Parts: sequence; structure tokens; C-alpha cells
Amino acid sequence: MNNTPEITIKNVSMVYNDKGRDVTALSNVSLEIQKGEFISLLGPSGCGKTTLLRIIADLLQPTSGTVEVCGKSPREVRLEKKYGIVFQSPVLYDWRTVRKNICLPLELMKIDKAEQNNRVDALLEMIGLEKFQNHYPNQLSGGMQQRVGIARALAIQPEILLMDEPFSALDEFTREKLNEDLLRIWRKTNKTVIFVTHSIAESVFLSDRVCVLSPHPGRLSAVVDIDLPRPRTKEMRESPEFFNLVTKIRNSFEGV
Amino acid sequence: MKKNKATAALLWTAGVVLLWEGVAFFLANILHDKMANAKLPYLHSIIYTIAANFSEISNAALITVSKAATGFALGAAAGIMLAVIMSISKTAEKIAFPYLIISQMIPVLGLAPIIFNLVRNMDLSRIIIAAYLTFFPVAANMLGGLKSVEPEKRELMYSYAAKKRSVYIKLMLPFSLPYLMTGLKIAAPLSITASILVDMLGSKGGIGVKLLYSLYGGEKDIFWASVLVCAAIGMLSCFIIILAEKILIPWKKTSSGGEE
Ligand SMILES: Nc1ncnc2c1ncn2[C@@H]1O[C@H](COP(=O)(O)OP(=O)(O)OP(=O)(O)O)[C@@H](O)[C@H]1O
Ligand SMILES: [Mg+2]
Repeated sequence: MNNTPEITIKNVSMVYNDKGRDVTALSNVSLEIQKGEFISLLGPSGCGKTTLLRIIADLLQPTSGTVEVCGKSPREVRLEKKYGIVFQSPVLYDWRTVRKNICLPLELMKIDKAEQNNRVDALLEMIGLEKFQNHYPNQLSGGMQQRVGIARALAIQPEILLMDEPFSALDEFTREKLNEDLLRIWRKTNKTVIFVTHSIAESVFLSDRVCVLSPHPGRLSAVVDIDLPRPRTKEMRESPEFFNLVTKIRNSFEGV
Repeated sequence: MKKNKATAALLWTAGVVLLWEGVAFFLANILHDKMANAKLPYLHSIIYTIAANFSEISNAALITVSKAATGFALGAAAGIMLAVIMSISKTAEKIAFPYLIISQMIPVLGLAPIIFNLVRNMDLSRIIIAAYLTFFPVAANMLGGLKSVEPEKRELMYSYAAKKRSVYIKLMLPFSLPYLMTGLKIAAPLSITASILVDMLGSKGGIGVKLLYSLYGGEKDIFWASVLVCAAIGMLSCFIIILAEKILIPWKKTSSGGEE
């Protein structure tokens, strides 16, 4: 925690122009994220979570302020293909099967066929969709589609994983299972994860730190350290420490 | 689901046949119309005529269809290409689009003699007119498809820093395929019509020639046989495209002609 941060967000503001009317989505957000850290962006709908994630991903230019990743601009990092992005909606290609969808970024990066197959097989197993690998997206449920989107983001083995409410369309069981899967992958690969959610419990279970955003205009209103031990287990969800943290974060909302 | 459809098609066909035969019977035997045989001959007698003159009629049809198909292929290729160019460059779109619209205001009936006078070659005119009629619906539908690619789908490509070429091959073109097929479905019968029309302007072979000569020569059964064959060719062209659609677009849930 004492070395230089991997991602430095400095005074980032974002003002959208919506038909002549200015909408301030983010106001003066500053944050430093260490390499390998698991960070959650938590907040109610419309507080600018997606906006912040998109700015980091170089899908959006901030109105003011800067983002640096290892001393580089988000654009350079995108061109180096170090971002894995899971969008809020799955964004699958209808004409590609599950397998081919996961394979898409690997084809673009011209990774050799055997390696492509190995990685896709492993990911299919992880998301539990081996039996559906030759289905088209419109033959899957929303939750299954979302899992394909996650597998696709992991396929390129990105250094930074940006996830926009990846599990919000899932049922509680699948969600908790994928939470644990995600933590396992994260521990194995030492990726930096920025995870958007509006579930307090989920953010506590997953994160090293939870960044609480508040709306109108979107600001960083609190950063809460989650000092639960790792690896996190199912049982921890029922521990008093867990509840204390959830309460602490909930209170930080009410203080707004 | 499939069975229902087949039954419906069968019933529909049977209905048309019965109606036709019924009206023909009505004209001939109830109204005692002396011209009944010219106004609407029995369907079975027309089919008999087709069978009796099969090689003659099918040769004529083949000439018309082969030219239509060549024109269709060329027109479709040109339409796809222009649509892609217009989707890549806004300037190209601004320049080309008004011409596209204006080109559709010239009636083919007027255009056909002009083209014929220019090229002085029947086969070539047939191909050009068929291509001309195919071109617009294909270009317009394809462009429509290329323009309706959702921004998120493009964003995904952007996030992988994909090259323009890859974006087209892996996203834009497959996405637009269903739109393209819609254009082709409209264009296929049009190209046949165009080819028949040019036949009528005085070519040597072709089903349109049969149609015209038999009409003036008083060979009513050949005339009706030609009409029926023309209709069949037009429908067949559409069916071929629908079949191609089924094969090329396996991810489409609803069968074509379902909703939309
Ligand atoms: N393209 C846009 N044009 C104008 N305003 C926008 C645009 N995108 C977002 N906004 C506004 O910016 C604010 C933040 O939007 P954002 O999508 O970042 O919220 P969010 O925190 O991701 O919400 P949710 O949890 O619902 O996804 C909202 O008030 C929204 O209305
Ligand atoms: Mg959002």
C-alpha cells in the first residue's frame, strides 16, 4: 500500500450536455488505486458510476481532470489491450455462438488457435456454460448472457478488470457463486479490479476498499477500508464484522 | 409450428386453385361468355399447355432468368459496396445519396429504351436494367443495417482497439446481413420483372417475347402459359432468397415473414 498507485484519478469532473442543459455527472473525483487492489464503486442509480468507469476505460473524455494508469493515459492502456471490460448490458454479438463470443477478442489479438481453445474451454467451465457453448445469445437467459460477457472480458487476461454491475441481472445463488469465482480468479492473477455495484453487501464481500459515490452532482463521499481477512468465505457474510461494515457504509449514505 | 405453416400454405394454394377453376367455370359454363377462354382459361389447361410446350417455354424463361440473375448479382454487389462506402465516409454519403434518390424517380419504362439505344445490345440492356432495379433496395437496406449497429457493440470493438477492417468483418457486415437479405428479397422479383420488360422492347428470345407475341398473335394458351411462368419465376426468386436467409442467418429466432 505504500508504493506508487497504479491508477491515479485526479480532480475528474464530467459534465454532459443534454440538449443544451448541462448535467454534472461527476464533480471533482480523486482516487488512487494500488496494483492488485479490488475496488468497488458503490452508489445509487445515476450517481456517475458508469461515467467514471468509462472515463478510466477511455470510452469517454472527462470535462476536466486527469486519469493516469502507470504513468500512461487511458488511451495508451486501451491500445495495449490491458483493460477487460464487462458492460452493464452483456453486449454479445448475436451472430456468434457463446464460444465464438468469448473468442472474439482473442481472434482480434491474433492469438494462436490452440491457445484460444484452451482459454475458452477453461472460461466456459468457470462460468458453467460448457453445454451451451454452441448456442446463440438469444437462446440464453439474461444471467447466462452476462456470464458470457464476463468470460469474454477475462479471455484477454487483462491487467485491469473494469466491471459495470456485472451480477445485477443474476439470481442470488448464481451471484454469490460468481462472487467467489471472481475472488478466486483475482487472487490467482493479481489483477486490479474496479467493480461497480449498488449492492452494499456485495461490495463489502468483494473489496479491499469501497468508494461511496453520492448523486447530484456525483461525488466521492466516502472511502471505506474493508479489513475482513482473505480469502473471504461464505461464513463471513454472517459475521458481526461484516454487518458492522455494511452498517457503516449504509450510514455514510444517510449522512449525505 | 412448422406443421401449422405447411398446412396453411397448402390450404392457401388449394384455395387459389379452386377459386381460379371456379371463376373459369363460371365464365365458360354459366355466363356462357364466348371469350371465357381468353379472359380466364382453366388453370389445368394452362398447365397442360406449359407441359406440351415445355422446352420452348423453359428455354425462353431461362434466357430471361439468366440475364436477370446476372443483373441481380451485379446490382447487389454494387449496392453492398456503395452502402459500405457511404457508411465509412460521411462525405461519400452526402454526395451519393441525392443521386440515389433521384435515380429512383426515373421510371424504368422510360429508362429501358434509353439504355437499349445506348448499348444496342439486348442482353446487356437486360442485365443493366436488372442491376439498376436491384441496386437501390440493396444499397438502401444495407446502409440502414450498417447504421443501426448499436453503439455498445462498436464500443466493444473500440475497447479492443480493433482495426477498421476487423470492425467491418466481425461486426458491421454480419450485423447488417439480415437487413441485406430484406433488400435482396425486394430486389429479386424486381430484377425478373426488369428482364421481362426489356424482353418486350423487342428482343429475340426470352419469356417476355413469348408473352408479347402470343398476345398479339392470338395464341391465348401460350400467352397464359407465359404469364403463369413469369409469376412462378418471380415467386421462386423470392423463395430462393428466403432459403438463403435461413441458411445464412441461423441465429435469427423468428422465421422470416413471421413478425416485423
Ligand atoms: N450520454 C449522456 N448524456 C447526458 N447525460 C448523461 C449521459 N450519460 C449519463 N448521463 C447522466 O449522468 C448521470 C450519471 O450517469 P451514470 O450512467 O454514470 O450513472 P450510474 O451511476 O452508472 O447509474 P446506474 O446505477 O443507473 O447505472 C445521470 O444523471 C445521467 O442522467
Ligand atoms: Mg451505470
